[in-house]
Amino acid sequence: MMTTNAPAKAAPPRPSAAKGRAHLRSRKILWFTAPSLAWFAFFSIGPLLAMFVIATLSWKGLIYQPSFVGLENVARVFADPVFRAAIVNSAVQVGIAVPVMIPLSFMLGYHLNSRPRGHRLLSILYFSPGLISISITGMIFYGMMSPNGGVNGLLDLLGLDSLIRPWLADPATALASLITIDLWRGVGWTAVLFSARLSSLPAEVIEAAQIDGAGRFRTMWQIAFPMVKDYASTLTTLQFLWTAFTSAALILLLTHGGPGTSTTTLSYLVYAKAFSQQDLGYSQVVGVFLLVVGVAGMGIINRVFRDRKERI
Amino acid sequence: MMASRRRGRGPRRERSPVATVLSWLYALLLAAPIYYLVVSALKTNIEIFIRPFAIPATWLWENFATAWNSAALGRALLNSVLICAVAIALTLLLAVPASYALARGEGRLSRIITNAFAAGFLIPPFAALIPTVILAIHMGLFFTREFQMLYLPASALPLSVLLLTQFMRTVPRELVESAALDGAGHWHTLTRVFVPIARPGIVSVMILQLLTFWNEYLFSLTITGTAPATRTVQVALPTLISDSTNYGVLAAGTVLTLLPVYIAYSLMSKRMQEALVAGAVKG
Repeated sequence: MMTTNAPAKAAPPRPSAAKGRAHLRSRKILWFTAPSLAWFAFFSIGPLLAMFVIATLSWKGLIYQPSFVGLENVARVFADPVFRAAIVNSAVQVGIAVPVMIPLSFMLGYHLNSRPRGHRLLSILYFSPGLISISITGMIFYGMMSPNGGVNGLLDLLGLDSLIRPWLADPATALASLITIDLWRGVGWTAVLFSARLSSLPAEVIEAAQIDGAGRFRTMWQIAFPMVKDYASTLTTLQFLWTAFTSAALILLLTHGGPGTSTTTLSYLVYAKAFSQQDLGYSQVVGVFLLVVGVAGMGIINRVFRDRKERI
Repeated sequence: MMASRRRGRGPRRERSPVATVLSWLYALLLAAPIYYLVVSALKTNIEIFIRPFAIPATWLWENFATAWNSAALGRALLNSVLICAVAIALTLLLAVPASYALARGEGRLSRIITNAFAAGFLIPPFAALIPTVILAIHMGLFFTREFQMLYLPASALPLSVLLLTQFMRTVPRELVESAALDGAGHWHTLTRVFVPIARPGIVSVMILQLLTFWNEYLFSLTITGTAPATRTVQVALPTLISDSTNYGVLAAGTVLTLLPVYIAYSLMSKRMQEALVAGAVKG
């Protein structure tokens, strides 16, 4: 294979022709991407665009014929107190889960990367929620948070009987319980990711900072964090999208949006309106709204991280 | 060499005792529900309620048999394996040629396609759940495993293509040129030059997407459905919940569902961790 190199060098083709041919070949080769582009367009982009159409239809369940109603659904959704409750719940969920998760997991990842004693065991434990499916997570916490479950059992053992309550069935604690599960899943896993990214940085910089006498906390936030800022921005975006969009699964498994509307998030509302209440138009108006929130949120996160970069 | 050895050992740093305590406290919080799950799997309801975190007084192994039978977990595991196997094969069949082209292609069009996949990665699959259900109905594949086999690769394509393209870019230029001078066509260059060199990347993508497919829940629930003949193991498990849930049986079923993933993890923990981290690094 290698021996054929020599004659090629001896007789190079005219540069312009070669360039033209290379360009042509480069275009032709892109046909290899056609099947996956077509597949992605058909199964992912198509349904995404269909949301905007369905949002304008009156469609009472999958077996019925839809009819066009235009923006009527939008007016109906925005006037609905359940929708407004869902906005608040989603805002609370995302507004607590993400800002708590990212700094906490950065600090834990920083600690993990300094190879403390037992860091192997720590990293296995932190990593394990990444392996556990949402359905299994749901079942674990269905047991833990049931009235006779592990959480109340532990409180009883500790003599904190006054705190015992049906965590998922009490409107005051249901949403907080779900956010706790988000954090339980997300913090360790994100810490492992931060640790992996930090380990790819030159150790000298951080060591130099410590020789200079910078405190631990300052080294962590003012030296190490700016070096992984872009990555932190990416992880924040992903956690934001994950929390905002996929909360429906856990809610479906644990609370069905209740009690009342205390755990009805936008994501769960999309699901419930389509499958339990057979109102597809309503469901997809919320879906489009969630999409807009997603794009806006990404913009805001990008902005927050970029501004901070300029200040430092 | 020096640098990589240093990195292996990690920077020597002062560590705060506060950080040590907090990191273990969080580890304890992570481990407690899993410990509770495992001990509950061997208990009766009454024992779970009365002595929640204690070691079971008598080890109730029949919980596992009860869970296996009442949720038809055997059939469900088989369905999950079948869906994952077909879906992963299809994913690679679509993503490998595409990433080969993007790794070799130059110019604007190639960049546009790469950016399209990068944007696609950010679309959360859940966003279009309901239209996807309607698509399944129109294709006559509602409540079948086949739709998931076709759909899951589509949801996995953006990340798979992006990751594989990075690995394919590591193929040395000289190898590509010499293959071209040998008169090797694209198919030959792809299978003989690119795939062997990008093999670690292909394995990473396989691990990452297999785990994603195996753990998928909402689409399986709504499209593949809850009928015992077609449902996946993730859908079968929550059927153990009822008005009078036997928590021991539920815990046993959860352990059984979790077991395949943990066995895989214990066999290749390093590779799996690398694959999952790589999957999240690419944003």
